[in-house]
Amino acid sequence: MLRFAILLAVMGAVAPLRAAAGEPALTVPRFVEETATSGIDNVYAGDWEYMAGGGVAAFDCNDDGFSDLLFAGGEDRAKFYRNAGAPGSALRFEAQESGLELDRVTGTYPLDIDGDGITDIMLLRVGENVVMRGLGGCRFERANEAWGFDGGDAWSTAFAATWEHGARWPTLAVGNYIDRREDAFPWGSCTDNWLHRPENDRRRFAAPLALKPSHCALSMLFTDWNRSGTPDLRISNDREYYKGGQEQLWRFEAGRAPALYTEADGWKRLRIWGMGIASSDLDRDGYPEYFLTSMADNKLQALSGAEGARTARPAYEDIAYASGVTAHRPYLGDQVKPSTAWHAQFDDVNNDGRADLFIAKGNVAEMPDFAAKDPNNLLLQSAAGSFQEAGDKAGVASVAIARGALLADLNLDGLLDLVVANRWSKAQIWRNASTDAGRWLQVKLRQDGANREAVGAWLEVKGEPGMTRREITVGGGHASGQSGWWHAGLGDARQADVRVIWPDGTAGEWQRLESNRFYVIERGRPARGWSPG
Amino acid sequence: MKAFRAGVAALLIAVSALCGAGSAMAGDLGDARAQHVVRNWYRLMLELVRHTPTYSPPVASRSFAYVGVTAFEAVAGGSAQLQSLAGQLNGLAPAPQRPAGAHDDAVLLNAALTQVMENLFANTGPTGQRAMTAFGERLSAGAAAGVPDDVVARSRTHGAALARHILDWSEADGGAVVENMGFPAAYELTPGPAHWVPTSRIAQQQTPLLPQWGENRTLVMPDGAACPLPAPPDYSEEPGSAFYDEAREVYDTVNSLTDEQRAVARFWSDDPMLSPTPPGHWLSIALQVLEQSEADLERDVDVLARVGVALSDSFIACWNAKYAFDLVRPVTYIRRVIDPQFEPPLITPPFPEYPSGHSTQSAAAASVLTDLFGADVAFEDATHAEDGLAPRSYASFREAAQEAGISRLYGGIHFRAAVERGLDQGRCVGRYVNALRTRN
Repeated sequence: MLRFAILLAVMGAVAPLRAAAGEPALTVPRFVEETATSGIDNVYAGDWEYMAGGGVAAFDCNDDGFSDLLFAGGEDRAKFYRNAGAPGSALRFEAQESGLELDRVTGTYPLDIDGDGITDIMLLRVGENVVMRGLGGCRFERANEAWGFDGGDAWSTAFAATWEHGARWPTLAVGNYIDRREDAFPWGSCTDNWLHRPENDRRRFAAPLALKPSHCALSMLFTDWNRSGTPDLRISNDREYYKGGQEQLWRFEAGRAPALYTEADGWKRLRIWGMGIASSDLDRDGYPEYFLTSMADNKLQALSGAEGARTARPAYEDIAYASGVTAHRPYLGDQVKPSTAWHAQFDDVNNDGRADLFIAKGNVAEMPDFAAKDPNNLLLQSAAGSFQEAGDKAGVASVAIARGALLADLNLDGLLDLVVANRWSKAQIWRNASTDAGRWLQVKLRQDGANREAVGAWLEVKGEPGMTRREITVGGGHASGQSGWWHAGLGDARQADVRVIWPDGTAGEWQRLESNRFYVIERGRPARGWSPG
Repeated sequence: MKAFRAGVAALLIAVSALCGAGSAMAGDLGDARAQHVVRNWYRLMLELVRHTPTYSPPVASRSFAYVGVTAFEAVAGGSAQLQSLAGQLNGLAPAPQRPAGAHDDAVLLNAALTQVMENLFANTGPTGQRAMTAFGERLSAGAAAGVPDDVVARSRTHGAALARHILDWSEADGGAVVENMGFPAAYELTPGPAHWVPTSRIAQQQTPLLPQWGENRTLVMPDGAACPLPAPPDYSEEPGSAFYDEAREVYDTVNSLTDEQRAVARFWSDDPMLSPTPPGHWLSIALQVLEQSEADLERDVDVLARVGVALSDSFIACWNAKYAFDLVRPVTYIRRVIDPQFEPPLITPPFPEYPSGHSTQSAAAASVLTDLFGADVAFEDATHAEDGLAPRSYASFREAAQEAGISRLYGGIHFRAAVERGLDQGRCVGRYVNALRTRN
């Protein structure tokens, strides 16, 4: 049979990853692994019931501005580490008893539930979930009873939180996985996800509402996908276990039961091994794109349809292939087996003003059909909007079996560092030691009353090469979350205009801020500069 | 608990209850225990197919054949009614004879099926491995309860020997090793607009699935080319040409789908990783009809082996033809020639169009089931009930196969010629299988 002269090599034909001709070369960040000297010594341990999960959280629990870390331990106890570093220094942490050291923890997310200005912690577990009230000084206590939180008894693997309009107390969504007692025939045994809404107007939770149908959630995110002012709940589900399931988007309206968007509403049926959600307004049109991790090809979803009509219907098209982020197989070595992706996060690791994408990779367990050595991805966004793999060049291409992860500025030098939680091996931590990165600023948001950290707000920054918009969320990723400083790369801009669209839709004033600085923006007040120490 | 899961639980309980009734090495009670072993493993197999990434439809059909032959030979070795398939299936030598002394079919079958399943599904994930272990242990304990120790030991030993015999035979057929879920690292596209090009934006699927599968050793057909097809209509973009008209039919049908047609398309969609696959759908039909007809053990293994062989050979025949003609998919042609915005309702499979695999294997399975049960056996198909798709009823296996075939046109993934010639090809495969002698 005659054949094309051109050999279509699978991997070579995949993605136009290189920046377009004439574009400036991408700045590859330089990460230095400091696991051995960091003081971090955590393993996500356990067998079948811990094949998912393995989260890590970053939050500041002693008001020093530095992010402290909490790791899920699986069948071992969770471990808390106080950040003992100094600005710009090597990364250094000290293990410290915090009250958070529960066993059977799969995931962990920080948020200020009771609005007292002290970070609280959600612990997802195999068994009873626990909300932990922050006491200050990095001490925490169980608050299930005090807050009326029913932790249930499930295999919990996903979490998201929002403050519904007018609420004085948050709404928490918990995603649950398989019925772990169905060991001989677990398929089709997805257990109900739970919605913990406030009890009337009280500062406590009502009995949880089952979000039926549930399809084995591995990531959830409250997100205002159409900028309606009201976040809806996206859920990424693992098709390995559901029957009749798909990815989900629940419509939320205050005081009403959530309702699924359907095909009649424009929602397109998508069935993947959904494991993690990351969002960012990549194309700067004001609406977030969503990256969904899976096995083999990953998805990058953008609203489709005619301009002006898009926000009426949650119809998404997959632009992963065109954007170069399918990340479907290892980019190192000669393995042809597909990848397994978990946590994902968009953030600007080289401060060029464009969100980059980190993906934690790792085989489920010992699945021979999938790559055993599966390096994490660090995909740098070019000016044209496509992405280029730089995990190996940047020094973060670990082939440990990764699960949760975080990009966060751990030493307050303006560069995002990296933490990755691994299954069956030690967590790893890298310091971003780039010397040619762009300028930056970092912001904390504060408002009075409930929802002090302004979850649901949009932070808008006009730098170079243009406007960046960040939705302030709690949830998503894979079992991992953070609070504290929100980072923006500015390119070469020495100043940036910044404003906040607060959760109730009120737009703050544009403020011109100096680059390479930290700011606290309290609602209705001028931004206040902050310096470590 | 949902229907299918309830069914499995009930079967496991039934095994225990039967075993608790006392020793039964032969007779109706022993047959019933053995039958429960077979049906439980089949139900687990249909689930593992769905959850093992290597298991595209051709790969699934292969395993269905080898598991079916294993069960058949295990029972035939102790049956005066059944005739071994050795010498009838390509390359299958006579199985080891049962040693002297009593054997228990349930124990023997469970030992053989456990070993074959663990081999064929060695690549399944941790949950599948855990399930196989749990199933094996429970079935093993249930099957052996009340059976004398020496009979249990003898039966297990022979079951293991039989499994090894089947596995040794299977490993040289060309389909034992599947890399990267069946997508080759490199592939040369056939030049010209008539030929297949990738249809998705999935990076892994930029080469077609299992291009060498049509060269595998067949089971009962002489080889993969034994059921040849006429060429599809000549490629043309000229309105009024046969090829254009076929594409236009797909386009017009998709754009005016009735609710019934849409339901048909979805019912037979049988997507890999989201269902038991098309061959699994027909195996599910066979299991449902066996239950409906209150079949005994020998009938079970006869039907399951024949259907498995038919499914496996039909995929080899179909793949042989697919890569010989290497025809473009409707979505490619229609977007190029008729409407760039065309969206087929079903996911277009990542391999050439002609003939329709679902049509070939449906007609093959239907031919075999018709031969075994009759031309006018009505049945209800609840394969996808747990996935929320209502059962559908058919007056005959042929009717179901015809519907499976045309569903691919409704789904926008096949032209009519691929459906009709695929059904023809399947009937050809079925004739080979129906010529097997399984009864003395």
